[in-house]
Amino acid sequence: MNQGLMLKAAIELWPATLLCGLLLAAAEAALAYVIPTFQAQWSQSVTQIGFLQDFVSAMLGVKVADQLGPEAFTAFPWVHPVVLSLVWAHALLCCTQIPVGEVDRGTADVTMTLPVTRWGLLASHSVVWIASGMIVLGMGLAGNVFGGRYVEAALRPDGQRVVIVLANLFCLYLAVGAFSWLVSASSNRRGMALTVVFVVLLTSFLLNFLAQFWELADRLSFLSVLYYYRPLFVLRDGAVPWGDVGVLLATAATLWIAAGVVFSRRDICTI
Amino acid sequence: MSIIETESLCRHYGPRRGVEAVSLQVPEGSLFGFLGPNGAGKTTTIRVMVGLLRPSAGTARIFGLDCWRDSRAIKNELGYMPGDLRLMAWLDGARALRIWGKVRGRDLLPYGRELAERFQLDLRTKVRNMSRGMRQKLGLILAMAHKPRILILDEPTVTLDPLMQAEVQALLRQWAAAGHTVFFSSHTLGEVEQLCDRVAMIRQGRLVADESLDTLRRRAGHEVTLRWRDAGAAPHDVPAFLQLSQRQETVWQGMLSGPVDELVRWLADKPLDDLAIGRPDLETLFHQYYAPEQREP
Repeated sequence: MNQGLMLKAAIELWPATLLCGLLLAAAEAALAYVIPTFQAQWSQSVTQIGFLQDFVSAMLGVKVADQLGPEAFTAFPWVHPVVLSLVWAHALLCCTQIPVGEVDRGTADVTMTLPVTRWGLLASHSVVWIASGMIVLGMGLAGNVFGGRYVEAALRPDGQRVVIVLANLFCLYLAVGAFSWLVSASSNRRGMALTVVFVVLLTSFLLNFLAQFWELADRLSFLSVLYYYRPLFVLRDGAVPWGDVGVLLATAATLWIAAGVVFSRRDICTI
Repeated sequence: MSIIETESLCRHYGPRRGVEAVSLQVPEGSLFGFLGPNGAGKTTTIRVMVGLLRPSAGTARIFGLDCWRDSRAIKNELGYMPGDLRLMAWLDGARALRIWGKVRGRDLLPYGRELAERFQLDLRTKVRNMSRGMRQKLGLILAMAHKPRILILDEPTVTLDPLMQAEVQALLRQWAAAGHTVFFSSHTLGEVEQLCDRVAMIRQGRLVADESLDTLRRRAGHEVTLRWRDAGAAPHDVPAFLQLSQRQETVWQGMLSGPVDELVRWLADKPLDDLAIGRPDLETLFHQYYAPEQREP
């Protein structure tokens, strides 16, 4: 790892980190406050209307008909599409910075002729990516805690369980980021790389969503990255989802190594 | 001793040719000019040298190390300025020198400031506010600030004004005198002629010359201009050792491929008004090498 490259990466990433962090904090604060406030009304409606029940199940990624307790509502701020979009957007921005971002804007010739190996370049940027991801999720947690201060204590989720959810979300963030690195390492145009990752993530989200309505999607849902992120179970049971975390971390590590191998072997071509 | 060496270097872009069987030897401490028209393969050769491209076949070595496998070790002692230089918009000169210094593990600011003063560049100006010439100067400073043993410059003076070009040339001469090697790719033949002691020319991906400028000139023969006394005085036959590029009634111009005394003997009984013989300049040599290419469709 190289301090100079880490400094460069940090300078380039701080605006996106700050923006995503602030937006995530605001979204979490709003959701943590709004959703429990209307919990009583919602639970009545959900138990009475079948479609809404399915919709909530799809959002949470689990069948909630028989499990619709307060935890289901406290899980919403961690699975809401706005929240996931912000987390993924940050991972995408960070992990397509090199090499595809540099190749696309033409600065690769300067950066990649510095005395650092390609693996060193990837590792330096990855450290900054992981650190900035922690900052973004930390800001999200702060927003969640802040929003939760204004609801009844009984409706607030257990702090320790929220931290486990956050750790699970961070593993999801790492898996998405590592996939972005791999696509970035294989591309010459940043727009194309962003599109590919976005389409895969959207497919993954839809698969997880449709799994609650469609049997075929249900059978394939293990292919969705969201299959391994179920905050409802964590908030209800308080158990660490070691299996899910393990799958996400293994996926992240495999994809990151694949990205490094592709990057270290590829040509940097601007012609 | 050759500090840069390529042997049968090939690089293809799919079915498209990049360079083909390029064998180059750049002596240590030389000012080496690398010439060729657009698309001839200059930049491809350079990109292989700096480890951005992997050769399709053949080898490229710097300091005896493989340019792809040992790229990191090479780049410690190499400065490079790309032809199409792009820098991050948020950078300014001082910040760039600090970051580059951290990457290289040495303080680049003192010599960087000295270079900036010489190039009249304000290191506080952000790249986004710089003209092309200013960015070029910053690129040169970043390539030179760590005083590398080898400096690879791809069209380094193309956007600089003539005064600044002269300043850069003077600096590069100083560097070569101090034992640094400068590999200089350019379209500006006059500049290469003034600066370089050795040149290589590349044409359609293949090396067509790699020699000292003097040898190249000697090999090319002499440029000859013959001015006849009056119209109709010119001989009807042209000797085999004279290749004319221009034949008017009173003036002949061309290249002498044989010894000068042979020409003098042949002219002894001819009605000659004036005679000029000299070694060709680089531009003439360049045109000689590329004339067949220019005739191709």
